[in-house]
Amino acid sequence: MTGAVFYDGASARRRSVAVRVTSSSVDIEEAGTWIASWPCGRVRRRDAPEGILRLMLDGEPTLARLDILDPGLQTAIRTQCRELDGRNVGERTTRIVLWSMAAALSVVLCVIYLVPVAATRLTPLVPLSWEQHLGRAVDNQVKLLAGDKVCAGLPGAIALATLSDRLRRAAMPAAGTSDTVVDIQVLDAAVPNAIALPGGRIYLFRALLDRAESVDEIAGVLAHEMGHVRHRDGLRKLIQAGGTSYLAGLLLGDVTGGGALVLASRMLLDSAHSRDAETAADAFAGQTMTSLGRPAGAMAQLLARIERNESKIPAFLSTHPVTEQRLKALEQFVPTVQGAPLLTDEEWRALKEVCKTS
Amino acid sequence: MSATSVPATGPALSKSSPLYFSGQGGDFFRLLVNGSLLQIPTLGFYRFWLITKIRRHLWSSTQVAGEPFEYTGTAKELLLGFLIAIAILTPIYLAYAILAFALEEQHALASAPLVLIMYVLAHFGVYRARRYRATRTVFRGIRFWMKGRGWAYAARAILWDVATVLTLGLALPWASASLERYRMRHTYFGTIQGDFVGTGWVLFKRSWWTWALGLAGLVGGVAVMIRTAKSSPDTVNVMGGIVTLGVLLIIVGLAPAVMAIKTRWQLEGLRFGDVAVASNLSIGAFYGTFIKLILSSLGFLLAFGLVVSLGGGMFAGIFKRSLAQASVGGFNAYTVAGGVGIALAYLVLLLGLGVIQRYFMGRGLWERAVQSLWVSNLDALDAAAAAGEPVGATGEGLADALDFSVGI
Repeated sequence: MTGAVFYDGASARRRSVAVRVTSSSVDIEEAGTWIASWPCGRVRRRDAPEGILRLMLDGEPTLARLDILDPGLQTAIRTQCRELDGRNVGERTTRIVLWSMAAALSVVLCVIYLVPVAATRLTPLVPLSWEQHLGRAVDNQVKLLAGDKVCAGLPGAIALATLSDRLRRAAMPAAGTSDTVVDIQVLDAAVPNAIALPGGRIYLFRALLDRAESVDEIAGVLAHEMGHVRHRDGLRKLIQAGGTSYLAGLLLGDVTGGGALVLASRMLLDSAHSRDAETAADAFAGQTMTSLGRPAGAMAQLLARIERNESKIPAFLSTHPVTEQRLKALEQFVPTVQGAPLLTDEEWRALKEVCKTS
Repeated sequence: MSATSVPATGPALSKSSPLYFSGQGGDFFRLLVNGSLLQIPTLGFYRFWLITKIRRHLWSSTQVAGEPFEYTGTAKELLLGFLIAIAILTPIYLAYAILAFALEEQHALASAPLVLIMYVLAHFGVYRARRYRATRTVFRGIRFWMKGRGWAYAARAILWDVATVLTLGLALPWASASLERYRMRHTYFGTIQGDFVGTGWVLFKRSWWTWALGLAGLVGGVAVMIRTAKSSPDTVNVMGGIVTLGVLLIIVGLAPAVMAIKTRWQLEGLRFGDVAVASNLSIGAFYGTFIKLILSSLGFLLAFGLVVSLGGGMFAGIFKRSLAQASVGGFNAYTVAGGVGIALAYLVLLLGLGVIQRYFMGRGLWERAVQSLWVSNLDALDAAAAAGEPVGATGEGLADALDFSVGI
């Protein structure tokens, strides 16, 4: 019988052959001369267009192929050689799906549980000098985004120095003073915010200063940011974000559209975790203000006022979400002994105008 | 005897055989939809299996004188290549991050040039990926394979990229010719060496008008903007929108012609020993496919929008509660249900558009190109003997991890 073409895998020559199928093997002959016998159990089907049954021999090192063109012969081979497709195909797909899901799940669990833990453990191991180097890099980025406009109008700057000195002494008494350097500056920016960078720099945005009605409100915010500095939250966040984006980006980055999905969930996750950090920083601010004999609730009033008046960004995603719980927790810090005002009225006015006078 | 021998046809070519594409659109579409759906539970890991299936379909549907190509690569190889690429990239990423921070400390954005490292790696990956695909391509029981060095290729590609940017795209034909020559002269079919005879000058002569039109549109647009800014500054935004749209339309309108011209030139230049390729791909050959692509995408978006707004109406209650919970920082069944719903809709949208894009840009253009081809002196291939070894898929994994497309 003819109707078959054999490629021996050694040359590209096309050999018209006769094929005989028995229950044990597929025998190939060219012009009456025997070429090869393929055991039926090792014969496998390969991709081919409709009308061609392309066969190979499993375990054969060359790329020898046998193209069966004759329909009758194709039927004969299909009946004799039962393992043309190897093992069950459907089973394989299930295995791929299960293994991929396991891999994906392990990545997700790493991002949710392992990365935050690793970040928390790694943070104390990073020397303070490294954190300060890192802080300067972040600082450059912040200045690029917010504009390099540090307000240093003289009377205001002196008032700021006085205020930060009082806060620092209350916040980091004796023991911890030498290891954490806090450096507070006012940035001329129109967003009411305050941020703490890794390494100890704190930026108070001018718009927040504008909205403040008393020293205590600003002092509370600054004490809160000092809490972030003290707990090295900035560094921890950086390590966590780096680890998460590495895992998500490298492993799943190429998922069609998964990238944006990962990003969105990371933002939610980051804000969820930073909420713990916010609570801790609030507690730190509360203790600091209490030890100075000033009300910590003032800061809560400032935040609530801003939230009421200009909440364009959903609170859910902003860095300082104001929740009922937070306000209540802050208002519970009430000093038993009233302390002296942190700044005189004159100093406070000077501070408020620190961006105007230079 | 063989029922597939084809008589010599074609007016100018002696002993030439046509290429034929026999794949069924329905089969390919089912393959894409199934593969894309499986991407969801596997969070994208199924892409290795999907791309392998796509290649197997396209290769085996492409026949020269009735003899099909065969793709022998497996998804497991791609997965392994990807994992090795990650292992290679991890220390590079770490070093990159440390270096970036050190530079950023000096000056903001000082680390931007570091992107170049990834860019070099991506070119390297693209060359190695082509090598992988060549060694998995079998014809008449003989494999294709490639010599050449990924780094040498990457260096050439980068120099040509610089020249192309400096000449506003004018150097592109010569860049394409030089790189294609490098690729093809290092490609073998068994013992027969490949070659590329297309020249930059020929490509330039065929395509210069598209370049001129595009540039004229761009320059004209900028000129109009400058005049508007001077005469009536208050309408600048409106004019800006119109001009941008116009320039975009010119570019989109020219793209199919540019692709057809380049594809034909690229295919016509292919040689393997005495075997030559001819193509009658017309400049307008790709327009139909592009129009189908755009219409299908719009239709899909419309249908998607309808389904989402209907579904959104039905589940409005859940979403409202979910948003309310989310805005106070709550985390419960409603937020989870809302989040999962949005994520699923988003995935369906992207995967759907991906299916349409692959169907027309992958299979559609491939079919048009294959159907335009004639091969002459096919007998010369008889002299080819098996040579070359299969290589790993690390290059393809590298390009994958760096999000650098290597095509099909």
